[in-house]
Amino acid sequence: MKQKNPIANPLIVLREEFDDWAILFDPDTGNAFGLNPTGVFIWKHLDGKHDTDAIVGRLREEADDVPADAAEHARQFIASLEQQGLVGYEVQT
Amino acid sequence: MRLMRTPKKVDISITNRCNLRCRYCYHFESAGDVEGDLPAAEWFRFFEELNRCAVTEVTLAGGEPFIREDLKEIVHGIVRNRMRFQILSNGTLITDEMASFLASSGRCNYVQVSIDGSMPESHDVMRGKGSFAKALQGLMILRRHRVHVAVRVTIHRKNVNDLESVARLLLEDIGLSSFGTNSAGAMGMCRKNAEMVQLTTEERTLAMETLLTLSKKYNGRIQATAGPLAEARGWLDMEEARLWGKQLAPVRGCLSGCGCYWQDLAVRADGAVTPCTMLSHIELGRINRDDLVEIWQNHADLGSLRGRNRIPLSSFSFCEGCEYLQYCTGNCPGLSYTLVGEVNHPSPDACLRKFLAEGGRLPERSLLC
Repeated sequence: MKQKNPIANPLIVLREEFDDWAILFDPDTGNAFGLNPTGVFIWKHLDGKHDTDAIVGRLREEADDVPADAAEHARQFIASLEQQGLVGYEVQT
Repeated sequence: MRLMRTPKKVDISITNRCNLRCRYCYHFESAGDVEGDLPAAEWFRFFEELNRCAVTEVTLAGGEPFIREDLKEIVHGIVRNRMRFQILSNGTLITDEMASFLASSGRCNYVQVSIDGSMPESHDVMRGKGSFAKALQGLMILRRHRVHVAVRVTIHRKNVNDLESVARLLLEDIGLSSFGTNSAGAMGMCRKNAEMVQLTTEERTLAMETLLTLSKKYNGRIQATAGPLAEARGWLDMEEARLWGKQLAPVRGCLSGCGCYWQDLAVRADGAVTPCTMLSHIELGRINRDDLVEIWQNHADLGSLRGRNRIPLSSFSFCEGCEYLQYCTGNCPGLSYTLVGEVNHPSPDACLRKFLAEGGRLPERSLLC
């Protein structure tokens, strides 16, 4: 069994309120999670077509001064989203 | 204040029908009292737009939402479009089947049920014979199905002496964690029945003192954003600020009393988009015809309402010479519209100076929780 790329839970609402900041709203629980602009960028690329390295690669193309350890931070961020049920993986059997 | 890209919540009058005619209903005989309910299909289209706008919740009000035969389909439409909801109800039409359905939806924040007395006499006198028993039954059905219930007690001349028993019923006998209070505002049916419904200055003084006492006794489990309890707290803060020269937040001394149009929109039963259910005479557009984001971000009337908080109270002759001026917000624009015919005016009903001049007394500050 091989895990594929991360996919945002389609039930979760990305609510962009001010500038590039946003909240993720889970209508089933009513919980909301704040996202900074980098988090929003990553969330928008959780489409099953990009793995973490590809997302960080896109981030480097679009933003200046992306830190060297950004991929590790992105992995941790995606893992925390997964823990909260906001992100899943398509599984290839 | 900065404007969100889209509204967070939309208050929807899902029907203009109601099985009751409460003597102080703000809806009937207001601009929100419009002919004809939209079919569910219209609401489904609108919910899809709300989904695209990332609106997270809707309030279903009316009329009486449970009178709609297709309410379950409407709730399904809300769920399909990634939103949560709350329902404002008189409680009398709630069945086991409906409560079970609401619980199973997993998206119901709460159902607000109006209970105005501890006994039929003080509730039914305004809402109609038999409505107390039915509302209480509806409340118990919802609790049995673990649907969160928010009880609202509207205070009027016939229940102002019953408040202690109301608190005992709701908090001790039924065991609610809290309940909210309000008073009958001078809107809709209440205007016609003002003499019978609206508190006199003396009764308002009594209500404030009683509610503060009860709120303290029950450790803050009685809440209010309007009505005598909210007024008592707000006015005591204003008086203290005046005495000690304190600053009160947020913006005071201007028409800053309401901020709902910074976060919410409302829709009438006929599909007209309005800034608020209390300002249903201001039509901003139509659902499924006009773009909601365009209305939200660019409509001139909304822009004007959002600019209210820059209008100083000192510019109104009504406020001339008032020593509370720099601590006051002018309160609800909806009330000011119904009372003086202008949205951009302080609401006379919420005026502390007027209340005191008419013989009203503020409760002891020691009664605050």
